[in-house]
Amino acid sequence: MKCVLIASENAEVLFYWADLDFEQSIREQYGALQEEGVKPMAFEDSINTLFAPIIISCSTMIDRICDNYTSFSTENNHVYVLQQFEECLYIGVCGDGEENEEDLKRKIYVLKKLIEIHYGMVTLSSSLLRKELRPHDRDQRNHLWRKFQSLLGTYSHLKEQDQSFLVEAVERLIHPTLCEQCIEFLERRLVQQINSSTERAGEEVLHAFILVHTKLLAFYSSRNASTLTSSDLLALILMVQNQFPSNSDLEDMSPEDIENNSAPDVFYTPEPSPTSKDSGPSGAEQDYTPVFQFVDPDIQMAEDSLQTLEVPPPDPSMPSRVFLEVTSKDGFCPMMPHSMYCLTLWPGITLVLLTKVPNSQLATSVYFFLDSFSQLERRLNEVQDGTSVSRSQHSLHDLRNKLDKFIRALSSSDIQLQNAWAEFKSKVFSRSGPGVSRELLPCCKNMKTCLCGVYRHYFLVETTRSSQRLSSSLQERAQQSVQEKLLDWKDFLLVKSKRNITMEFPGLIHFMYVDRTAGQMIAPSINVTDRSTSELGKGPLAHFVKNKVWSFVEMARRYLQKGYTTVTLRDGDYYLCYFLWFENETGYKLEVLDPPTLRDYSAPIGMLASDYYRKLLRYYSKSHNAEVVKCYELLSVHLGVIPTEYILQHCCQLARKLWEPSRIPLLPTYDFSLCRSKAVGRPYKEGASRVNCRGPHFTRESHLSQ
Amino acid sequence: MAETTPPDPRWCTYFFLFDGSKVKEEGDLTRTGICYFYPEETALEHQEVLCSQLAGVCRCVSELSRSAARLVRLRKLKFAIRMRDDFLWALGCAVELPDVSVCSFLDKLIGLFGFYNGPPRLSYQIDPLLLLKAALILQACHRCPLVLAGCILYRGRVVSTQMPPELTAKVLVHECETHSQYFFKGSNFKDLGPLTDGLASSSGLPSSGRVTSTPVFLTPSEVRDLRHPPVDRPHRSTCPPLQSNRSKPRLLSRTLSDTPAPDTDDHCGPGASNQTVPCSMRSSFSYEACVSSGASPAPGGSPLFSPDYLAEEKGGLSNGLQEEQKEEELVEATSRCSVSSKEGTQVGLETNDFGEKVEEEEEDGSSRGGAERMRQEPMDSERPQDDWREAKEERPVVEMALYRHRVRGLVLALLVEPQFHNDATALEEVYHSSLASLNGLEAHLRNPAPGLASAQGGPYIFAHYDCLQNTLATNLPASSPPGGSGSPHSAPFIKATSLLHAHFCQAPTLQEIIVRNAGSAVYGTRSVAQETYFLQQGTTVRNSGVPNPQDSAFTLPAKARHKLLKHGVNLF
Repeated sequence: MKCVLIASENAEVLFYWADLDFEQSIREQYGALQEEGVKPMAFEDSINTLFAPIIISCSTMIDRICDNYTSFSTENNHVYVLQQFEECLYIGVCGDGEENEEDLKRKIYVLKKLIEIHYGMVTLSSSLLRKELRPHDRDQRNHLWRKFQSLLGTYSHLKEQDQSFLVEAVERLIHPTLCEQCIEFLERRLVQQINSSTERAGEEVLHAFILVHTKLLAFYSSRNASTLTSSDLLALILMVQNQFPSNSDLEDMSPEDIENNSAPDVFYTPEPSPTSKDSGPSGAEQDYTPVFQFVDPDIQMAEDSLQTLEVPPPDPSMPSRVFLEVTSKDGFCPMMPHSMYCLTLWPGITLVLLTKVPNSQLATSVYFFLDSFSQLERRLNEVQDGTSVSRSQHSLHDLRNKLDKFIRALSSSDIQLQNAWAEFKSKVFSRSGPGVSRELLPCCKNMKTCLCGVYRHYFLVETTRSSQRLSSSLQERAQQSVQEKLLDWKDFLLVKSKRNITMEFPGLIHFMYVDRTAGQMIAPSINVTDRSTSELGKGPLAHFVKNKVWSFVEMARRYLQKGYTTVTLRDGDYYLCYFLWFENETGYKLEVLDPPTLRDYSAPIGMLASDYYRKLLRYYSKSHNAEVVKCYELLSVHLGVIPTEYILQHCCQLARKLWEPSRIPLLPTYDFSLCRSKAVGRPYKEGASRVNCRGPHFTRESHLSQ
Repeated sequence: MAETTPPDPRWCTYFFLFDGSKVKEEGDLTRTGICYFYPEETALEHQEVLCSQLAGVCRCVSELSRSAARLVRLRKLKFAIRMRDDFLWALGCAVELPDVSVCSFLDKLIGLFGFYNGPPRLSYQIDPLLLLKAALILQACHRCPLVLAGCILYRGRVVSTQMPPELTAKVLVHECETHSQYFFKGSNFKDLGPLTDGLASSSGLPSSGRVTSTPVFLTPSEVRDLRHPPVDRPHRSTCPPLQSNRSKPRLLSRTLSDTPAPDTDDHCGPGASNQTVPCSMRSSFSYEACVSSGASPAPGGSPLFSPDYLAEEKGGLSNGLQEEQKEEELVEATSRCSVSSKEGTQVGLETNDFGEKVEEEEEDGSSRGGAERMRQEPMDSERPQDDWREAKEERPVVEMALYRHRVRGLVLALLVEPQFHNDATALEEVYHSSLASLNGLEAHLRNPAPGLASAQGGPYIFAHYDCLQNTLATNLPASSPPGGSGSPHSAPFIKATSLLHAHFCQAPTLQEIIVRNAGSAVYGTRSVAQETYFLQQGTTVRNSGVPNPQDSAFTLPAKARHKLLKHGVNLF
């Protein structure tokens, strides 16, 4: 019984996702409230009504006691998590014990991230975001909500099944030779070709990468490109998985699973878009398709008409608009528009191209102005009533020049922005105006809304109308050339993605090694089904260990949140260890620093939706100015019968071995006696060899220091 | 905007009882539903915001989930909630406290409305020989058939008890409060002399000592346990009925040097103290308990230890110096509003407010009055979850008396049949048989045994909780303020222990944990009956945090096993 919803400050539901149990429960409740003979309300309306008291109480609490709810729980262990982002209130509910407060909070942050990646800086204006998320037209709204419902479903599924989404770090397919070949191919034969083609319609490929399921085989960024952050890359992988759900889910499923998932047809409406769910025969995915229970013929009619009125399926060669963080010589822009092309090479193997779109520099300017107005607002809020802010005059004149130029360059179109700017100027710069005082606050807000409007116009509205994109034939050629390149490797890659690294280490059950600076992780696969055997064996044991690992990751985060960097625990028959440490670029271990103790309601620890580790690195770097600081994590599961000294030695050696990933595929068999003799010393191979080993698929290593 | 109080480090920032049945119509004022609100100096407007908003969201959540709300968290504080019919109990406290502990605190607090109040501070950091002596005194008193059970408390701690933990806690709370006055305001305490003496003489008690008696109200199950203890407890259910012993008075007196003589017609073995009674206190152990275990509460520092809130309902005294008097007033008020105070009849637990409410509701023709609902056992967990809105059966309470004999910091508290005070012989016997022993025990306790150094400057800190014996042993310094971060060197221990305890509660298969940061490493281990936490001071060598077998943190289990042996804690 689960639900996630977004409410506006007017207690209007801007989006919801609910599973069948939750819908049923709400319908029953609402049935009780409703008078007889009255047509049942649409689900979104009943959810709105039932949650309204909570939503309204939230704003009352903020107004009256300057505090806000973060969670509720009930005697039957239902959990509610609430999170306010600007004017939007996100509420997550779980009533089946599968998710706790942390999970719900994370889900809420992921939803916010997904909305940001789809709408960019439009999210900074609540009125514009409301328009986007809640279109007047019911069909459009259903269509849009289903997209996000499906994304949330995919996320929940990945978080439960995929280790890289568990720890929120990209998992690489460990095959250095092939990886290097692919990068070279992507650079010389693909990106350069496309970028020199006349059919690219003004777009320029910045990044190209190949995914095998969720694992990254190769990643190439062009010279002009800014670094793609781990958060954005993970979100993009999530989107690709949503678009092309892995068949692996089906392969992994036992026959009972499949039976359990084939619920009566009456509960499901087919996906309107053939590009999405229908192509994915994954039973597990069906859990997340939106569910409609037809309780009334009128609704049935409405849904039927929805089907017939459905816009024709979008052109498959049409790219998705995504907004990604960019730091370039022109400045910083947290949400720069890109086009994303997902080209399936074979089921499970995808080529992704990210292109720079024409006019994208406009986004940097808009961000600059938005930021300026936000700063001005902050200053205005600080000053006493009546007094004016003289010290900001200079920056205001600067802003005036730049914005005048910007509006002139826009040449026409946006009347609203022009009017808002004229009003602002008349208040600030004319003698009769109130000058720089608090009276300016509404003007600032108006300016920000108008700027977001310009951004929306150029990067959201226009793109859906126009056919701006790399030509279809160019896309096809790109697809074919990579297919040719990988043809011989295809089957190998699909198997490899299931058994990425092997491990023979007496007593070691599982491990995860995460390079938080690069946002990458390495771990043996955990396959919990009968069909595929992993290092853990198969079936119930693997399932048991998987649950242990999943809950330990959560516990380790809990301790990290409270400032502990080492956690070891004896749990049943297992001994679990977690370590977090810092190194400089040459592998020298830096003295540990207590991470700040965070509040329970602070953003979840991870990289997908809130980049905890980036902040941690920045925090740590303050005391290591001169050095590049790297952050690593190691998690291990051992049999509890192994003496602790050996376990710690194993961990110590694992950390050292994994640091040199070229050796991973051949991880040697360990011997206890050897373990003991190879004490703690660290014979490092320094410098170049390491860089080559670790980062051949990234063209640069500098992306870490942001 | 209402006045906002900064988040309070204590574990009771707010405590209130709100009656939703009084605020149903549009025009109803929230304040009419506020039955009790702590702290009372909170602006009424602020009280109203908290009560109405929490009641509102709890109701909404309960309807959505079809189950009563249990916990409401805000950014700056959190509330444990109990919803019973139209009543909402809420305990607001610092967000750092573990959820399990907060919820259990609230339940205890509610339970105290039926007795008087407070959480347990059970600690046995006392020379084992003295424990034995205390047990002997209790046994001696217990021979009087009118005495149900007893406990001996010293400066807010239990020395020995024959009562189940929940009852001990209820008795203890009042003593903590009284003791803290005695301890901190020694001179004022003397003022209570005339009051208690007066009471003593009027009820026929010997007037020379500090002896008091208070009516208290036990739930039927508590009475049943006292009269017919569970099988695994050495019991005296075979004791002859009351009358049979009357004709055969025995010498109850024993001195500290006495050894228990084999006594064939007395079935109270040396194990009659309640140390082996299994209980469900595990979840209530929190870092709060660690902080406060060694200390008496500062005056007003821990509001729940004070009966103030009971007295406040009557608009009574807020000055904490006259607790005894307030107590008596309260009891009188309670007795007055109850229909009959005879043993076995239903007795209202409530103050006058509730008594009045009964009448109102009855006039309304309501079948179930507020006071009757209030009388229900609040901690009933056997109730099926679905019927959170269903009415429950009410339970009567039984009046008993609490006899207390004080010798400086030492208190002998006995739960006695109400007729005990009319029985001059019994009174005399109990009084005189225990007087000398109590004096002796007090003298011993005043001079604690050497060798049990506190953590102040000590090389390690530990806390050992035994849920079977219901004891907490710790060497945490006594100066830590309740709910505060403690002294700088115990803060890391308390922080880690709080997290580890919450983790243990949540993960049943978890046996041991080591957590480490730059400055400290804490080891926690638990077995079926015990939880132990250990921190080694000053040995953490700064390292990189990378896996390192040489890291001193990993030697903690061995060190704890070794060091705690001398505290009687066996981790092998």
